[in-house]
Amino acid sequence: MIKELFTNDYGPDGFRTCSVTGMRIDRTAENFVKVFGLTAVVALVVGGISAILVVLTRWEVVGLLGPADFYNWLSVHAWNLLIFWMVFMEVAILYVGGPMVLGRKLPAPKLAMVGYVLMLGAAIGINWALMTTSAPDHAPVLTSYAPLPSSEWFYLGAIVFILGTVIAALPFFAAIWQEKVENPNRSLPLVAFGAFITAIIAVEALLGGLITYIPTYMWRIGLLEHIDAAWYRQMYWIVGHGSQQINLAAMITVWYFLTHVVGGAEVVSEKVSRSAFILYLFFINMGAAHHLMADPALAASWKVWNTSYAAYGAVLASMIHAFAIPAGLEAGRRKRGAGKSLFGWLWSSPWSNPVFSAVIFSIILFGFMGGITGVLMGQMQLNLAWHNTWATVGHFHATVVLGTTMTFMGLVFFVIQTMFRKELIMAPLAKIQPWFYSGFMALTTLMMMYLGILYGIPRRHASVMNIPGTDFNFAAAEPLFVVFGIAALLAIAGGILFALISVGSLLFGNRLDPSTVFRPTHSWQGDGSPVHLQSMRGTFAFTLIFLAVFVIAYVLNWYLLSRLWEIG
Amino acid sequence: MSSPIHSPQGNWWIAGVSVLEKTWIRISVVWCLLLFASMIVWASYGKQNQAGPTYRVSTTEFMQKVQAFKKAGTQTEDGIIPADEHIYVAAARFSFDGFPVVLQAGKQYQVHMSSYDVQHGLSVRPEHALSKQMSLQLLPGYEWVLPMKFDEPGVYHVVCNEFCGVGHRTMHGSFIVRR
Repeated sequence: MIKELFTNDYGPDGFRTCSVTGMRIDRTAENFVKVFGLTAVVALVVGGISAILVVLTRWEVVGLLGPADFYNWLSVHAWNLLIFWMVFMEVAILYVGGPMVLGRKLPAPKLAMVGYVLMLGAAIGINWALMTTSAPDHAPVLTSYAPLPSSEWFYLGAIVFILGTVIAALPFFAAIWQEKVENPNRSLPLVAFGAFITAIIAVEALLGGLITYIPTYMWRIGLLEHIDAAWYRQMYWIVGHGSQQINLAAMITVWYFLTHVVGGAEVVSEKVSRSAFILYLFFINMGAAHHLMADPALAASWKVWNTSYAAYGAVLASMIHAFAIPAGLEAGRRKRGAGKSLFGWLWSSPWSNPVFSAVIFSIILFGFMGGITGVLMGQMQLNLAWHNTWATVGHFHATVVLGTTMTFMGLVFFVIQTMFRKELIMAPLAKIQPWFYSGFMALTTLMMMYLGILYGIPRRHASVMNIPGTDFNFAAAEPLFVVFGIAALLAIAGGILFALISVGSLLFGNRLDPSTVFRPTHSWQGDGSPVHLQSMRGTFAFTLIFLAVFVIAYVLNWYLLSRLWEIG
Repeated sequence: MSSPIHSPQGNWWIAGVSVLEKTWIRISVVWCLLLFASMIVWASYGKQNQAGPTYRVSTTEFMQKVQAFKKAGTQTEDGIIPADEHIYVAAARFSFDGFPVVLQAGKQYQVHMSSYDVQHGLSVRPEHALSKQMSLQLLPGYEWVLPMKFDEPGVYHVVCNEFCGVGHRTMHGSFIVRR
């Protein structure tokens, strides 16, 4: 059965042609995409199981775990979902965006294998270290802020995982290199270009990780006597936030890819979309500075500079993609006569296809919830009200779960049907999975934001309804915790549904000709007119609504801040 | 067809761009400039700016400063009434040193903050309005001095909101602000 998962109709040269995308697909590249993707889903399941424990502890009506267990499982939750699920998927995306889109063989497959083995070994080792953490070590949660010591195996695992990821990315860079040597005057396709930018941002972040974890490991095993907390924070966030920026760039690349192959989107302007990726390349790393807005030792001018000129280069890029991607869908569909009215192109889209609905929900929810809150908390002064509250956790659940995880779930459904060529089982449930999961996850996320901003609920607390040693508590927030608890459990049920459909389809799904589910992209022809002359008024209306919400949220946050006592 | 999975044909740099897309980019640029300007304006005219000097300090030195502050102040049932406008508070696993302090509403104080051991948070809100809250990061080895002026009397509860170990949730302190 396992062998069957890696079988496809390859020609004697080791290539096959995808009946949906028309891409020439190399057997080795495809098998590595499958292996990395499957490993990512395993990490998602481990992270999802720990989510149940975390939710049932924070919802104190249940109050499942004591503090020590809670922090260990919170760490498992963070590392599996923010790191392993994401990074294994992202290596798979690089192999799609590089060798597959370019129709090339995967160069240096042995390096891919070495990278995979190191990553897998490190992921298992880190999970073991997190689950067995006990005094005098402390759970690292995501950030392992020095000088609070964690298991030395944890730091070593982080170093090996980073090295493995860099090695696994090398075949992708080699494929781009070979392409440019052979075709120096041919531009990369946009998806390959986006993957290339993602990979560069990834290497920057990963090098930051080595700069952080190697000295920290040396300190932990006693080779260095002292580690400076402010130094650690500066260095750590190169990888801590950088890794999440890999998610962002990879997600946007997948948005361009899937809206095209599933919805018939076109690229409305190569110049604009590529320029936006270039803005990411130069500016997105500065976004990491917003973790340091409430820190001592940094001047206000440093904080304002890094969260303004610099970071807004990346904000601008995201706002450009926020128009370009839906506009691509609108223009592409209008060109083929799909929907004449303001939003007809959208209503007539393939909503019953979970790949499509997952991607569209991800675009909307990422923008409205994750993007806006990211900018709000990245403003130096507004950060006072956001820093280390549960609202920050809400923010990154909006970006990483509603955005990236939803997108990657859609991509997994796509890969199951087009690469594994398996029919999705439980088709009616598969159709509603993105609606169910994103709906309840959005509600969960909103509750975290409300609880954090309006009640000041701190993050990383095992309990806030009872603070030992004082009468003070956060019991006033209890009603919202009820909504949070129920919504989060339903969202987890949506996640379980995803795992059951994915694994079940691989094991029990019928063999599928994917062109019966997805319309082959060569049939997306239309009237041949230039795409930029198509109407994009529906997208423009959406982006104006987005801007209005942005402005309202912005004004409300400044109002909340202005009610505080004088600080500074 | 302009596809993201095929190399673009011809000179794509000079291809036309939709009027609405150009308009959106212009709007976005203006919005980003406004975002930037608001921070600068608030830094000049707003009353909440986490800007203040930071000094390197050893744990022992800062412990001595907090002890001196407590000794110089007046001990009352509610807490320490500072001798002057300088307040010294420190976080340590799993309690705050220097709290509770009794302050006068409308008077500006210089709050000196640090940590004795690991990273901590200083998260403050009045008991009567949980939504009026803010958080700062405390780092060992750094003494951060921020001016603060509380206008509304009340009890301002302080909790740690940076994970500092299993007893993290038990840390509590307070500013008691009187007329």
